[in-house]
Amino acid sequence: MRPEVTIQTLHAQRRSLLAWALALGGLIAIYVAVYPSVKGTGSSFSKLIDEMPRAYRALFTTGSGIDFSTPAGYLNTELLTFMGPVVVLLYAVNAGAAAIAGEEEHRTLELMMVNTASRRRILLEKAAALAVGVALLMVSMWAWLLIEGRIAGMDVPLTNSAAAMLHLGLLGIEFGAIALLVGALTGRVGTSRSIAAALAVLAYLVNGLAPLVGWLKPIRKASPFFQYIGHDPLRTGASWPALGVTLGSIVVIVCAAVVALQHRDIGT
Amino acid sequence: MSLRKLSKNYGPHRALVDVDLDIEPGEVFGYLGPNGAGKTTTIRVLLGLLRPTAGEARVLGMDSWRDSVRVHARTGYVPGDPGLWEKLTGTDTISYLARLRDDPAQVGRGRDIADRLGLELDRPVRALSRGNRQKLVIVQAFMGEPELAVLDEPTSGLDPLVQRELHAMVRELTSRGGTVLLSSHVLDDVQRTADRVGVIRSGRLVAVERLEDLRAKALHHVVARFASPVSPALFERIPNIAGLTCADESMVCRVPERSLDATLKVLAGVSVVDVSITEADLEEMFLAYYGEAETSAA
Repeated sequence: MRPEVTIQTLHAQRRSLLAWALALGGLIAIYVAVYPSVKGTGSSFSKLIDEMPRAYRALFTTGSGIDFSTPAGYLNTELLTFMGPVVVLLYAVNAGAAAIAGEEEHRTLELMMVNTASRRRILLEKAAALAVGVALLMVSMWAWLLIEGRIAGMDVPLTNSAAAMLHLGLLGIEFGAIALLVGALTGRVGTSRSIAAALAVLAYLVNGLAPLVGWLKPIRKASPFFQYIGHDPLRTGASWPALGVTLGSIVVIVCAAVVALQHRDIGT
Repeated sequence: MSLRKLSKNYGPHRALVDVDLDIEPGEVFGYLGPNGAGKTTTIRVLLGLLRPTAGEARVLGMDSWRDSVRVHARTGYVPGDPGLWEKLTGTDTISYLARLRDDPAQVGRGRDIADRLGLELDRPVRALSRGNRQKLVIVQAFMGEPELAVLDEPTSGLDPLVQRELHAMVRELTSRGGTVLLSSHVLDDVQRTADRVGVIRSGRLVAVERLEDLRAKALHHVVARFASPVSPALFERIPNIAGLTCADESMVCRVPERSLDATLKVLAGVSVVDVSITEADLEEMFLAYYGEAETSAA
């Protein structure tokens, strides 16, 4: 049995995926183009940031400090800490919310169901489409980094940047899966989108502020953002424990979504 | 198809209450009731989209909820409020659904049905009129040569020629031994095809009748004017007459179809200036015959 739902979903997204990939290219081009001027003023810029409130620094550097003297340090702070996740999460949360809740609101979910697609099949194939969509974005982002980095004479570490993309992609899939789960529970696009987005903001704050706020420290490791960037993947590569935790969470969320959809009234 | 004590609640709202019903192979069952009476809820339970609160629904010998995928493999469904993928063309739509059914051969049959209904398949759904969307939904329901067709208000938005074609398709299906459940809120829709009719009100199946029996009960308004005053006693002899008011030279009443002959014979005995006989709408008929059943059960 071919994964028709996955194929159809990605086919329907082909133009929007291309637009997202191009947007990433533009975003990275801006960061890469700015780097030479930032690098020149590296120490004074770092000093400026050192003088900013600790909370600000914690949020926008997520604890790993600021080092603009190397491309890896610069990209880590500028791209991977904030804008990169924002773009990937926007895509993933929208795709996750559209997957079940979107089809249900458009009354096309039942059309698939009565044409013999089981609830489990639809959900698993939609999750697969989400994963493939995010993966395509991450591959394009990685390619842009390497290509545009090379053009600008910026030394982007090959394997570590791939590791960072892998971690970022899984972060996106995890929050996309949360939107998928809420969609399977409620059938409402707006609810799915806002709960997943709120959880993402919460996870971001927990990870960013934990070094400053005592009571947040114990729960920092529970934040998907900590699994994503806590170990500074651009400098240290992939972290197997972090990958394990993230993958495990995704599997649990998707399984919960299958169960939720299998027990729910459709289209009420 | 058999429903046993089937109930469905939405929170405190009782959408279906203890519905018992059997539909035999080869039969067209008309499911009639006002909007909001529970027709669509029944259908969605039968298709495993909703889970029964109590009781059970067996379709083609299988449980509607647990075996829904196997039921769907042998069923075609026209939803009452259908959704389609706006960006896909008609061809894309039927080819996707045929692939989901793992039977690409259905696309060819889908094209034939589309030809029959006069639907162009190469235009995107968002450019289709309401009637053409409805045709596309009918195509996907029939292209799998289903044993059971579940049609929820299928003629809405269709012009009379296409309605006739749909009725022909329904008869072809039953002549092959297939079963059809046809829901509607207008009697006219079902009376051309149905063998039996079930009437649902406020979630309760209040009557199941042969179509002929229901036809015989179809109420008619009779309004007549006479050349000279007429005694009401003359009309009170008409069987099942209701709402009779006689005032000097005019008369208004309601009679079922089977009493029309008696009515006309009475009218023939007096000098009539003007007479009109019109069929009452279904809602009025429901109230006249089944309104009591609802109140006594509630």
